[in-house]
Amino acid sequence: MLAISVDSPFTHKVWQEGELSKMIAGGLPYPMLSDPGGRIGEAYGVYDEDNGVDIRGRFLIDPDGVLQAMEVLAPAVGRNVAEMIRQIRACQYVRENKGEATPAGWEPGKKTLKPGDELVGKVCEIWAPEMAF
Amino acid sequence: MTVRVGKPAPEFQTRAYAQGEIKSVALADYKGKWVLLYFYPGDFTFV
Repeated sequence: MLAISVDSPFTHKVWQEGELSKMIAGGLPYPMLSDPGGRIGEAYGVYDEDNGVDIRGRFLIDPDGVLQAMEVLAPAVGRNVAEMIRQIRACQYVRENKGEATPAGWEPGKKTLKPGDELVGKVCEIWAPEMAF
Repeated sequence: MTVRVGKPAPEFQTRAYAQGEIKSVALADYKGKWVLLYFYPGDFTFV
């Protein structure tokens, strides 16, 4: 887990010690990266040059360095951590179980699909929209 | 260059604050591990 904003490492330190450590004992247990001038945000398409900040983008990168999921939210809208964790589990599952796919709303333990000749046109026989919730 | 699912994530190296110390962190340091990289508008913001 890596957090990143345009703030300097010193600002991160002050925020961590002054406020975050009051929410989480010991502060955030992962690095807070500094992106001066939004260079890294620019590369990821989340740098807002009008305001000089990186907007709320989140990127899931696999062990080969390949991007597997992304989400970008408006500055005033917070993220859904449970959904983030669900996506990590789904991405890990399909990486470890080649040939399977996780349908909408999949959670560990729920049914997966095996896309191919035998399933084409028959998803309705084994999957229903209620299973997405 | 655009970021796209299924393509390599852009590499980076920068300074970071991590558990009391300031050090250099690169995406390449995490090869072989899953990485969740999240951007946010700024320290002391509210959401």
